[in-house]
Parts: sequence; C-alpha cells; structure tokens
Amino acid sequence: MWIWLRLELQRLLPRMLGLLAFGGIFMAAAATARLFAASDGHVEFDRLMGIGGYPLVSALLLSGWLVGRFPLVAALVLAAGVFSGDRESGFARLIAARARAPLLLFALRAALALLLAAALSALVLPAFDMLMLGRLPGPQLFALVTGYVLVFGALTVLLSTLTRGDAWIALFAGIAAVVWHALLRAGALRGGAPGPRGLLTALLPPQGALAQLETAFAADEAVPGFALLYCATYAALALVIAGVVAARREL
Amino acid sequence: MIRLERVSRRFGRRPGIEAVRDVSLAVRAGEVCGIAGPNGAGKSTLLALALGFLRPTRGDVRILDERPRDFLRREAVGYVPERVQLPTRWRVGDLLRALAAARGRADVDDRAGRVLAAMGLEESVERRIGELSRGLQQRVAIAQALLDQPRVLVLDEPTEGLDPVWRLRLRAALAERRAAGAAVLLASHDLGELERSADRVVLLERGAIRSEVVPHTPGGPGRYRVRVRAGGEHLESAFGDVRAIGAHEFEVAVGDAADLSARLAAWLELGGVVDSVQPLGLEELVRPAFEGDA
Repeated sequence: MWIWLRLELQRLLPRMLGLLAFGGIFMAAAATARLFAASDGHVEFDRLMGIGGYPLVSALLLSGWLVGRFPLVAALVLAAGVFSGDRESGFARLIAARARAPLLLFALRAALALLLAAALSALVLPAFDMLMLGRLPGPQLFALVTGYVLVFGALTVLLSTLTRGDAWIALFAGIAAVVWHALLRAGALRGGAPGPRGLLTALLPPQGALAQLETAFAADEAVPGFALLYCATYAALALVIAGVVAARREL
Repeated sequence: MIRLERVSRRFGRRPGIEAVRDVSLAVRAGEVCGIAGPNGAGKSTLLALALGFLRPTRGDVRILDERPRDFLRREAVGYVPERVQLPTRWRVGDLLRALAAARGRADVDDRAGRVLAAMGLEESVERRIGELSRGLQQRVAIAQALLDQPRVLVLDEPTEGLDPVWRLRLRAALAERRAAGAAVLLASHDLGELERSADRVVLLERGAIRSEVVPHTPGGPGRYRVRVRAGGEHLESAFGDVRAIGAHEFEVAVGDAADLSARLAAWLELGGVVDSVQPLGLEELVRPAFEGDA
C-alpha cells in the first residue's frame, strides 16, 4: 500500500502547494503588520490604527477571520473528488477490476486527505498566531482544526461518493449551516415544524459545535469535549455512509 | 465462465433508454467471444454489466457462478475500458506497480516487469502517462489488464490507437490467454480484428443480439464466395446451400476443406468453370444481418 500512499501524495502535491501559497498570503499580511506595528512582541492594533486607520485594522481582522477558515478550505481542497474524480475518469473501474479491497484504497486516500488538511492547518494557523500575537496557540486550536477537518473532510468524501462537484456542495452546506445556526440562535425558526427543523439541523454541518470550538479558542477556554465529540460523530457517520455508498454504487 | 441471462439495462426514468435488451450470452473458458455492432449498440454497457460495474435492470450476470463484484473481490479480471483517463502525472512503472499491489500479492515488481516487457514499455517505465502517445497509453492499459494472467479478460476496443505491430502482439497475447483457458469478451468496431481473434462474434444492435456468426477458420466449416465463368446454374446441385450475390458470384456453405474440394469437383464434373474461391470475411458474414436496415 506504500506505493498508493506515495502516488496519492504526488497527486495531492499541487493542491498542497496551492494551499501553502494561500496560507502564505496571510503570513505575508501578518508579517507586514508585525514589521510596522510591533510592540511587546505582538502586533499592536493602536499603532495599526495610526498607520492606516479603520480600513487597515479591519483588513487585518478580516485576514484573521479568513485564516481561521483555513482548515475548512484545506479539507475541501484536499478531499475534493476523492471518489468522484476516479469515477469520472473511469479509473475507478480499473481499480475495481484489479483491487482485492477497492474500498480500502478509497479509505486510505480519504484518510490521507484529511490528515494532510489537518497537518497543513496545524502549520499555518500557529504560524499566523505567532506572527500576530507573538505566542503559540493552546490546544484549543488543534481541537478547532480537528473539528473543521473532520466535519468538512468527511462531508466532502461522502458527497464525492454521490455526485461530482462535491467540494462546492460541501462549501454551500457549510454556508447554509452558518445561516441556519444563526436563525436558530435568533429564535427565528420557532414557528416551524420541529421534525424537519431537527432533521435539517442534524444533516447540515454541526455549526453549533464548531462555534463552541471557535469560542473556546478565541477566549482561551478549555476545549469543549462534547462539541468535539459531536463533530467526530458527525464525521464518523458521514464516512460510514460514504463507505456503504462507495461499496454499492455503480461505477 | 461468464454468463449473462436475459439481461436488460435501462438508463434514465421511464421510458428512458434501454441500452441493453434481453441479452443472453455465455463465454466459455478458452473462448474469445467478440461483440460487434454500430455506435450506440450497447457494447460498452454490456461489458460494464458483465463485470458488475453496472447493475442490470432485469436478468442475471454471473462469473464462475458468482456475482461479478464478488468474483472481482476474489480474483482480478483483465479489463481494458474503451475510455479511461489514466492518472497523467503517474509514471508508467508506478501505475503498473500500484495496480499490481492492489491485489495484495508480494511479487509486485516481477508482475509489473513481465507486462512491461510483454507490451514493449521498458523504455517508457519512467515516463509520465500524460507524456505518452495515444498508442503507448493504450499499451499501458492493456499491460495492466494482463498483470495477473487473468482467467477472465474483458476488453473494450483494445486495438484503438495501436499500430499494426502491436495489434499483432495483442492478438498473440489473447491467443496465449485463450490457450491458458481464459474466457475473453472482446468488443470492437474492427471487424477484421474480431475475425482474427474471436471464436465467434455476437452482433449487437440497439442493445439486442441481432445474430451470432462464426468467423472463418482455415480448413474449417464456413461460407465461401465462388466466382464462376460458366456453370453457375449447376452450383445448387453440387453445393445445396447457394445464394446468388451477383451475375457470376455465389455464396456457398461447406463443412470443411475436404467437403469444399469434393463439392467443387462435383460441380466441375457438371461443366462448371471456376474463376475464384474465397472464404467470406466477417464483414460479408454480418452484412445479411443488417440488410434491410438501410
């Protein structure tokens, strides 16, 4: 199986380089801010305000928010087409005709994509924090990365067994989950039928749990174990369904 | 070895398109069964059904009495698809080693090396697949199909893009597998290739089997075209089964070479003068099946 791992790494290398370049944009922004507005080993926002006013401060805050989505982006980019790509090219049929356990190869590729997404995120996010805040983040960051990668990686893998355009659909589901979660929290859906409301909440990415992980990271609080477990359960269910679909579906 | 029983496959919602209709077919061990037919006849769909990549809407498919996917889990099948985009960034040697390793056996390098040599790919082993010509890519696709000396080979237009030399080599490889007892299902537009490789050819039209023909084997039974200078009216009494295909051309059926000689001798006795005698090619054999469609 080593050769499959090596070839899969080779296949994903351009995507990984693209992700690193994407992360590099934020590093460059953080490094520039550090260069011009450093104080006591971190970026001082008052000094930034003095240099560029609200637009500069807002831009850097937005950068911070965006780089926080890096695990999501990495999971989508690396898991995209993990099954649907081979099915579209016809390579899935060659594998099915030859491999003793095609599902194992598929699982191996999916696991590698998720692992790499987590590894890249664990590289980019602490580097950004180090530049901006002058210190390494706590374990909350790794819980946040794990949550995002598991949820969106597994969702992309599942969608890949069902259709093409898997990563785009997963991204759309992610945005829908943010909106849905906001509506739920605002109490705007109290009038709706509880059954369909609960079903949609369960099907969409667990934005509530992800939000808890983000809050814990931002406030430097203890990792909310239940939220992480919820994300892991959502991912595990998605991967099990993906396995069943991949084993049964036509090629 | 491969058995399809009253298999149909429909695509899309009703009425949809019935790509394969009520096809029954059995391919024995040591037999090459050709599948011919016009574009859209259902050849590729039939092969995908035979290997379980598609499920039949009706009917049953078995390979050695197992469901195709169950068989594939147990034993590798040699499969060359009509259209496949091999991973373009992978090197030829890596692709073959990876596919050899997918069977979970240890002798990966030996098996990959053997098919690399058999398909003349030794010099391309370090080249990326995307850099190869169409013909070389096809040879890679054939090489992977031969990796495990499979008992079942399913080939969809395998000669596409191959030059005459490699068509000959493929034919030799198929003959070798057939001699080893493999069952081969071979779909092709190339009737000449089917004629040389297949023991029998199933003609598919609009998803259904139109007819089945046995290509001529030298000295074996078959149909011949006899061009005469005189005595055409006596052919029937000498040969029995005669069909006029022109003013001086006839199609006759014989049992074997000795039968042909004896009947020709009898006809010459009756005053016949022969111009030429030729076995009918596959193209001529399948033409009657499609006559009347034009």
